[in-house]
Amino acid sequence: MSVEAGAQAPVIEIRGLRKTFRDFWFRPVAEAVNGIDLTVERGDVFGLLGPNGSGKSTTIKMVLGLLAPTAGSVKLFGLSPRARAARARLGYLPELSYLHPFLTARETVMYYAGLSNLDRKTAKARTAELLEQVGLAENANRPVGGFSKGMARRVAFASALVSHPELLILDEPTSGLDPIGTREVKELIGRLAADGLTILVTSHQLFDMQDVCSRVAILSHGKVVGSGRVADIVAAAADKRHALEDYFVARLGAGQEGAK
Amino acid sequence: MKDSFILAWRALVRGHVLALLLVATALAHAFLPKLIRSDGTAEGWREMFVRAVPGAAYAFIAVTILACACGFFAQERERFRLSLTVVRPVSAFGVACGKWLALCAVAATALAFSGLLTACRLADAPRCLHHYAPRLPSTAVCAREALAAYLADPQTPESVKQAPRSAVLSLLTNKELDRYDVVRPKTAIDWPFDAALAAKGQEVIVRVRFATQFERRAPFEGQLTFGPYSAPVKHSTQSVLDIPLAEGTTNAAPAGAATVDLHFANTSGETVMLRPRRDLEILTPADSFRGNLVRAGLQMFAAIALLAAFGLFLSASVSRPVALFTATVAVLVALMAPSVVAQFPDEMDTKFTERFGLAVSRLICGLTSTVGEASPLSDLATDTCIEWSALVRGLLVNVLALPAAFLAGCAVVVRRKPLANNT
Repeated sequence: MSVEAGAQAPVIEIRGLRKTFRDFWFRPVAEAVNGIDLTVERGDVFGLLGPNGSGKSTTIKMVLGLLAPTAGSVKLFGLSPRARAARARLGYLPELSYLHPFLTARETVMYYAGLSNLDRKTAKARTAELLEQVGLAENANRPVGGFSKGMARRVAFASALVSHPELLILDEPTSGLDPIGTREVKELIGRLAADGLTILVTSHQLFDMQDVCSRVAILSHGKVVGSGRVADIVAAAADKRHALEDYFVARLGAGQEGAK
Repeated sequence: MKDSFILAWRALVRGHVLALLLVATALAHAFLPKLIRSDGTAEGWREMFVRAVPGAAYAFIAVTILACACGFFAQERERFRLSLTVVRPVSAFGVACGKWLALCAVAATALAFSGLLTACRLADAPRCLHHYAPRLPSTAVCAREALAAYLADPQTPESVKQAPRSAVLSLLTNKELDRYDVVRPKTAIDWPFDAALAAKGQEVIVRVRFATQFERRAPFEGQLTFGPYSAPVKHSTQSVLDIPLAEGTTNAAPAGAATVDLHFANTSGETVMLRPRRDLEILTPADSFRGNLVRAGLQMFAAIALLAAFGLFLSASVSRPVALFTATVAVLVALMAPSVVAQFPDEMDTKFTERFGLAVSRLICGLTSTVGEASPLSDLATDTCIEWSALVRGLLVNVLALPAAFLAGCAVVVRRKPLANNT
């Protein structure tokens, strides 16, 4: 499918996705994802929520093309996740920052700009703009090996955004951040969403997700046990402040009953 | 590729790998010469110096680059950085090439530094020499002819006739390499050489080592003649002799001939013999020691470039400790394989397991032949000119073809396995 055709397709389309992990002898050891169907439309801030081991990270890795599905399909902009045209429109922030400690903040962002095929002049301007945006302009020439977790997270955020992605995948973006850092990340997600960026985000922080997500899906044992618009969930809830948390607990309980 | 190169270069420079190589090279050049014990001649000292000092630096650079290569992809994958690279719109082959080029650049810098120090130390080294072997039929042709003669001979036992053809040919090829030509007293013998060597107006040296039966030292004398050149020989057997030939007016090389015979008349009462493929060469002056040093450096660089590509392939495929172990074993096996093949030429007399080992050793020798055939330090130490043809062949295979294959393999593995474990 061409990129032009992909422009009309959903940003992420997951159909019947399964992933079975096997041991050395190809015997199945875990059914991490068990028949997921999801669609993320343009402009969505989609929260993929679930307890540990529910299959969130495995799903994200398949969306990124880092893992091959056992069955089913994943399409990014109507293309395979391994297609270069799809990868060119993608930004990814992993759960941990995984930065090269010997590079400075500026060099790190420039490196990912280069990998995203930005020309040097554009890359320099974009790097300066992003480092300013994440509040690291003054530390741009310090090696990231000496950065705090929060500063490293901000460098990783800038690296994910450097190529002007249409889809941003955030894996636990507030993991390990202090309350101020968490608020900054939430504000940044809000600004990006307002700019029309599509965001797929996983998190355990349901309270935070309620503030930033437009739609959510709850995963349990590799299956979607609940999904919907956050506005609808909040409208239907008695306790508006903890609406998503209550919905999560309720769907998880229902999912476990179903599994039994 | 450029970004991957810059990242890897910074990793090597800021990780102090380049500094380590430069310091180790400088220390080797500063202190190892004090340990050299030679035969007291300038040539002997120079030979020992080249083998010990640039040799030690070369070995250290090669091992360090291989160790770094074995860690590059493996560490990036174990620390989840590789997944951040492969989700970008980059070619995995380009990423692998960038890392390989950075390793090559560091190796080239360290080798150039070592070469510079060597050139300064050996500023007065003599010119190197072209070495020419007699133009004899190839050993394979001789072996086939000998086999045909055996098979046609009715006295050859049936068991020999039914032996595996490849094994007999391999045996006969080795025998041909060590075949002796015998020159009885008051007789003469001719060995053909390239006619161009007999052109007038150049320096011609014959390097020869005569032997006698039972390897005893015995005096002998004779006359060597090659086209317009000739010289008397008077020495004892078992010594390697360099005999400069003087230009005369007689025996000019016939025009249009492909070969001219080197004629040796044994005027002594001693029977002497030599192996024409091992004990006889004609030497002519080539270019300067520095020119040869540059070519030797390029040969060393080619070998390290191949090692770097091999290490990167291993590092893309397995974890760092496994890659290091595999690379070490592979290099040791590749170094030992020629000795195994040379020591056990007769595969008909060996057991199946030994035949299997021999076959593996031959395969490894074949695969590493372009690296194995080059002996830059030995050639440099003995003032043997490294020929451009061999150098270019080595560069094409070791810097282009084989690394391209390893890096393509590397790219496939990186795409298929970007995560440390698939969970």
